[in-house]
Amino acid sequence: MTKRYVMVHDENKCIGCQACNVACRSENGVPEGVTRLQVRVEGPFGEMPHLHFKYHRVSCQQCEDAPCVKVCPTGAAYVGEDGIVSIHGDKCVGCMYCVAACPYKVRFMNPETKVADKCNFCKDTRLARGEEPACVTVCPTDALVFGDANDPQSDVAKLLNTKITYQDKTHLGTKPRVYRVPTKRGGI
Amino acid sequence: MIELNRRTFLKGAGASGATCALASLLPGSLAALESKQLKGMGKDIASICEMCSTRCPISARVIEGKNVFISGNKAAKSFGGKVCARGGAGHSLLYDPQRIVKPLKRVGERGEGKWAEISWDEAYQLIADNLNKIKQAHGPEAVAFSSKSGSQEKHLFHLATAFGSPNTFTHASTCPGGYEIAAKAMFGTKVKRDLSNSKYIINFGHNLYEGINMSETRGMMAAQMDKGAKLVVFEPRFSIVADKADEWYAIRPGTDVAVALALCHVLIEDNLYDKAFIERYVEGFDAFAAEVKAYTPEWAETVSDVPAKDIRRIAHEFAAKAPHAVVDFGHRATFTTEEFEMRRALYAANILIGNIERKGGIYLGQKPGDYNKLAGESVAPVLGKPGVKDMPKPAAKRIDQVEEQYAMMWSSGGIYQTILDATLSAVPYQLHGWVMSRTNPMQTMTDRARVVEALKKLDFVAVCDVYISETAAYADVILPESTYLERDEEIADKSGKNPAYYVRQRVVETLGDTKPSWQIFKDIGHKLGLSEFYPWDNMETLQLLQVNRDTDLLRRIKDEGFVSFGKPIMLREPKMVAEFTKAYANAKPVDEDGTYGSLLSFKTPSGKIELTSAKVEAMAPGRGVIKFREVHLKKADELYFIQGKVAVHTNGATHNIPMLANLMSDNAIWVHPVTAGKLGISNGDPIRLTSSVGSEEGHALVTPGIRPDTVFAYMGFGSKNKELVRATGKGIHCGNLLPHQTAPVCGMNIHTTGVTLAKR
Repeated sequence: MTKRYVMVHDENKCIGCQACNVACRSENGVPEGVTRLQVRVEGPFGEMPHLHFKYHRVSCQQCEDAPCVKVCPTGAAYVGEDGIVSIHGDKCVGCMYCVAACPYKVRFMNPETKVADKCNFCKDTRLARGEEPACVTVCPTDALVFGDANDPQSDVAKLLNTKITYQDKTHLGTKPRVYRVPTKRGGI
Repeated sequence: MIELNRRTFLKGAGASGATCALASLLPGSLAALESKQLKGMGKDIASICEMCSTRCPISARVIEGKNVFISGNKAAKSFGGKVCARGGAGHSLLYDPQRIVKPLKRVGERGEGKWAEISWDEAYQLIADNLNKIKQAHGPEAVAFSSKSGSQEKHLFHLATAFGSPNTFTHASTCPGGYEIAAKAMFGTKVKRDLSNSKYIINFGHNLYEGINMSETRGMMAAQMDKGAKLVVFEPRFSIVADKADEWYAIRPGTDVAVALALCHVLIEDNLYDKAFIERYVEGFDAFAAEVKAYTPEWAETVSDVPAKDIRRIAHEFAAKAPHAVVDFGHRATFTTEEFEMRRALYAANILIGNIERKGGIYLGQKPGDYNKLAGESVAPVLGKPGVKDMPKPAAKRIDQVEEQYAMMWSSGGIYQTILDATLSAVPYQLHGWVMSRTNPMQTMTDRARVVEALKKLDFVAVCDVYISETAAYADVILPESTYLERDEEIADKSGKNPAYYVRQRVVETLGDTKPSWQIFKDIGHKLGLSEFYPWDNMETLQLLQVNRDTDLLRRIKDEGFVSFGKPIMLREPKMVAEFTKAYANAKPVDEDGTYGSLLSFKTPSGKIELTSAKVEAMAPGRGVIKFREVHLKKADELYFIQGKVAVHTNGATHNIPMLANLMSDNAIWVHPVTAGKLGISNGDPIRLTSSVGSEEGHALVTPGIRPDTVFAYMGFGSKNKELVRATGKGIHCGNLLPHQTAPVCGMNIHTTGVTLAKR
């Protein structure tokens, strides 16, 4: 049974506080000027007094059908057994095809390693130590749930079965593995 | 073309590469040292955060000798092992090349920014010579001592007392003093709110989702999301808490008291209040009821723009959920001169529904000693208080002891702004020196120009801080304090519904030549010739005295970082009392109704909750009863100027920390589209705000999330000293626009004023 790691971001619980952004930087040593993860507070939308913000998690969507992997000429970009879109650093030649191909605009060149980089659910840091990703660990309002969707007993599987969720830009057919619970005010 | 979002969070590559070159110009900064591998003290170390005043329990780990990963300490249940962006960025402060790691002395004019590195001994000698000079010429009271509240405060104030000065101040009157003093007047002590168990929360702009207080923020979110609590928010701005609310009303700034009193009016007139509770625990209800009779929701609507029918409905919904409902009494800053009345009105709505010591309401908290008495056994250890016998009593009066009405504030941190009065106009007497620890009045006090003038006029100013803050820029001597990740400190009491202790300990070995503040003030004490008041050697001796030499307990507190004792208890909550008596066989006998209601008493003159206070009436005639008085915050053609907090910064302290500055270094001014349209202002346009005391340049953020008659800015930005490279000159400096004004009774600094807005 292979794993299928997914992340659920509950936009009702998210307060856009950037704790995840900072924890991600600390854990993964993300250099200044580039970002693996942030939550954009967009809006307010609507008319007074019925306004609402959108809390938009911007990070790698871990697509099942990943454009970055398709365009990579060297095989540096690949989807791992665990369903995490990953990078073989030593195979990356810095051509930036993947950066251009990503419809979510979340890949970047790491200015220190000169290798394509992005969120990988803390695969080589926390996950390797059996811990949850940094963002999930620190989220003040428990807006993030992470786990193996192939395990029906996991919190994340239960959540996907009970809550209405949506994914970003599904019309592109990339099958993203970051799910979002829409705000009760904004809807999808 | 970068679109200006609500917060310009994502900066493009290279947004902040320009600071390193400048850092080398800063003498005494970390950049001037050789960079070396960090030495961690152990794997995961439990400690206490210091990125804001909440002081969450944290757990920190050094990764590969070069990075610290900070998360919350899971042992503290209500904090959930979580940490906010500020807390997570602690290591960014630790390594900031611009952090000061050598003592500095001023070599140019004050505020000119010319510094020379000196040794600690020379710094101490300078301070001792100057303070003793002032003492001989003008008496010890001519030196004021001020500190952020928390671990530094005790040691600085101990030095002040030993030195002979009564003039010790915390930041209370610029932030939380209002609700503390109102609680003192009514309950006799500070009170806490049990948001996590509340079914109905009425919130007057207490923005817990941006001004994060971890356990309360988590509690409110859990109540809302997991337990279906309803949240009603009254706030002029569409903040995150307004967004998460079930109902949001864009109330007119400074009229919260009218809505609160109208809620009380409905509760009383429609017979929705808890008569038995009032009968048993409350003093002065009749006088309050008579006063509130006039405050109808219809009247409140004319004052506040909140529809009368909604006020009525909300009061009924609130009462229907009683006693598991709460009116959040708020936290920071003071909107109007009627702060004291406003906070009391908020407490009054709680008192009327009898939610005191009930789940989801308001509670007094359990200190270890009281808890053990209640349980009839020693559940929690009681800490020893290492004190010094025969401390001298300062002979002079405090500088804020000018009017009797402020009496409650004298022992609660004092009225911070009186330092300016005493310096500039010698009222009640002339100040000559000022010693500060981790406080930044240049940012947090109103009327910045007066703060500058006062700092320039003083004979001597010494500042202990981690940066050359806007205030430190005007000092004669700067003492570099170690960051909280490099300090050991006393065990602190974090008791809530049951007793709990936690402790701050070092996570890494000290970088550079810094010292913890307890060491700094002790050393200064010795230099001043006050060694007799320092009978202890170091922090370990203090900690051992605290635990009464119980080394096992000390080890446990250090290992776990947060130790909680016993079961949570609220005296009037039958379920909790039943659990409690089941756990402790020798617990005090329970009342007939299955609660400890008979044990609930208050440290007020009457022993009851004082809805109307004879004590306050005697101090400030006419203020015994909670009343509405009209306030004038602005002229007719001006806009209200209000401020608030953002989740990635703390007041006047964190704006130079690289990671946080990269997230947000500027505060755009929120302007309503109609107001902007009239002035021809588009989103992102450069604008100017002018008030009666100052003028500031910034940029506009045109958004429907603000009233048309109001402009808003996040506070703490727009520093004006060149030493804070990442923060200086970016955004609006709020203190520069606010006139100097003090609220009656609670002595608070007022944070609302009128401004005119113009396109630049």
